[in-house]
Amino acid sequence: MHAVTSSATLPRFCLPNFKEEEGMPVTTQELVSFIVAGAPVGTPEDPLLTMQEDLQRALKKQVKDRRWVMALDLRKCVGCSACTIACIVENKLPPGVVYRPVMEEEIGTYPNVTRRFVPRPCMQCDNPPCVPVCPVSATYKRADGVVEVNYDQCIGCRYCVTACPYGARTFDFGEKYTSGAPTQAGIIVGRARVEVYETAAGYEYGRAWERQGQESPIGNVRKCHFCLHRLNAGMLPACVTTCIGRATYFGDANDPDALIGDLIGSANVTRLKEELGTQPKVFYLL
Amino acid sequence: MLKRLLYLASAVAIVIGLWGLYDRLTAGHANAAYGSYVVWGFWVAMYLFFVGIAAGAFVLATLEYVFDVALFKGTGRLALYLTLVTLGAGLLHIWFDLGHLERIWKVYLQGSPSSVMTQIVWGYTIFGLLALAALVLTFRPAQQKLLKPLMALGLPLALYLSGAVGALMGVQAARAFWHVGLFPVQFPFFSLASGIAVMLGALGLFGDPKNARLPQQLWTLAVASIVLQIVKLYFLWADFSQSLYGGVPQNIAAVNQVMFGQYGWAFWILQIGIGSLLPIVVLLTPGMARRPQVAGWMGVCILVGFAVARANIVFPALTVPELDALMTAFQDPRLQFAYFPSLTEWALSAGIIGLAIAAFLVGYDRLPIAREASTL
Repeated sequence: MHAVTSSATLPRFCLPNFKEEEGMPVTTQELVSFIVAGAPVGTPEDPLLTMQEDLQRALKKQVKDRRWVMALDLRKCVGCSACTIACIVENKLPPGVVYRPVMEEEIGTYPNVTRRFVPRPCMQCDNPPCVPVCPVSATYKRADGVVEVNYDQCIGCRYCVTACPYGARTFDFGEKYTSGAPTQAGIIVGRARVEVYETAAGYEYGRAWERQGQESPIGNVRKCHFCLHRLNAGMLPACVTTCIGRATYFGDANDPDALIGDLIGSANVTRLKEELGTQPKVFYLL
Repeated sequence: MLKRLLYLASAVAIVIGLWGLYDRLTAGHANAAYGSYVVWGFWVAMYLFFVGIAAGAFVLATLEYVFDVALFKGTGRLALYLTLVTLGAGLLHIWFDLGHLERIWKVYLQGSPSSVMTQIVWGYTIFGLLALAALVLTFRPAQQKLLKPLMALGLPLALYLSGAVGALMGVQAARAFWHVGLFPVQFPFFSLASGIAVMLGALGLFGDPKNARLPQQLWTLAVASIVLQIVKLYFLWADFSQSLYGGVPQNIAAVNQVMFGQYGWAFWILQIGIGSLLPIVVLLTPGMARRPQVAGWMGVCILVGFAVARANIVFPALTVPELDALMTAFQDPRLQFAYFPSLTEWALSAGIIGLAIAAFLVGYDRLPIAREASTL
């Protein structure tokens, strides 16, 4: 059984009737350790380490034998949007392109109101509506279940964008955050300096994509791909490693020993728009 | 006088269009107003509009070349020419809408047959070539016997393509507003109505008044227009009332958007008022349908209504978020659920429309497109 934190395991030192017990954080150092590890001091391991081990195990298998799946624990998500930003940084996303926004939902009316944060990556559907509509087969489902876009093949018709029931695809209009920003020689900020970052190559799908002129990925449809380039290098997706609350889980659903299997097999799991039959591979824990 | 004005207007539109073209080629899609949520904009709506006219005009050409309808003898060549002009305008719109213009060849050589879009691209290419071949044949009396089978082949293709354009959107379960079986059914009617309207406009405004058949031709086209406008209104009623009764929030939101949203004025004034009710009332008034100028302008009104109708099919469905909370999830001008075409979009469209009008006028004046009709 893996050590998984949830709202049910809130640090008891937060509670009014807290009494110091072995393993609970008392000092600042222990508290930092608690936050970083996401589990009470002394428990087996951080879920990130578990998932990292799971990933290494999965990478030893053939691609067709893997089935990448993500689970998002909505009880833990605090809506910090660190995953959104990490994704933007990792994939060098320009303005208007976002792979993983965090939706904020308000439920009920005052005073009986609550708030929920729902990260929305690409669902990597098993039955993806975006695939059959593509006129040039530029988007397709890989053997491991990830729905990929071939930037060199995409003609930019955006038919797949309209077909996605989750709004998970965005179009690259070729814009820059620094467009129109002032520039002046000798200063450390401004367009001339920051543009270097914006024009630096992204490495989606394991290839360098430089933003030049109207070349791909400009003029293409873009979407989350579970950070395939990181996975192939033995790293978890950027949104997973950046999640401060350990609310994002990732792994190979074909691995019976993987942490992800325990999570998506639990009773409190749901998926978005199940009724459409898209069979998303992103699960939400409630 | 009207021709001179149109020549002037098309020349101005082409100049404006050249600026739009320059902007499109140098800045890509950066100056377009659509985004990643309202991902199809004015150019897609205009594509639907023009290819609809093309298919409808082709059907009218079959009246002479397939069905040998005596009344429409002499109008087939004009209808075929209008088919090619409007098809060209439609395809130019959708070509400029692509993110990568230079990759259009991929649809032909590496196309996916399961995609409705691929089927449409292949279909319209065959259709365009077929219409061109038919037009050429009309000038070659020796090869006239080929014309009938060619046109007979084109007729089901035109109807199929009209339906396929409806299916392009209808197959998408993600958009409740589009995902109705009625879509591919109603589009051929819309196409036919557009084709009849463009012929009404062309014959009414530019037809030879000495042509003895002209009043009867106009009256027949007017009656067909009235019937199809009533059919169109019925489709609209069926579509909207079912959506509202059904109670699916996405559907209701889209219908509300059409009727009372950002473009509510265009729906009521242009699509319903000027595009449907005005032509029905005017053309039903005794004697009016036989007056060329009146009939011609009513044809133009119907076309304006259809242009707005096409836009009202495309935009509203996209202005309804797939997930409600997406509206505020990530702030960016490209991630908005409101849309109004940008200057670049208007300019390029104006240029294409100007080009189409100029092509029609030059064809009408310099080529023997309508001469056959006027000499009868």
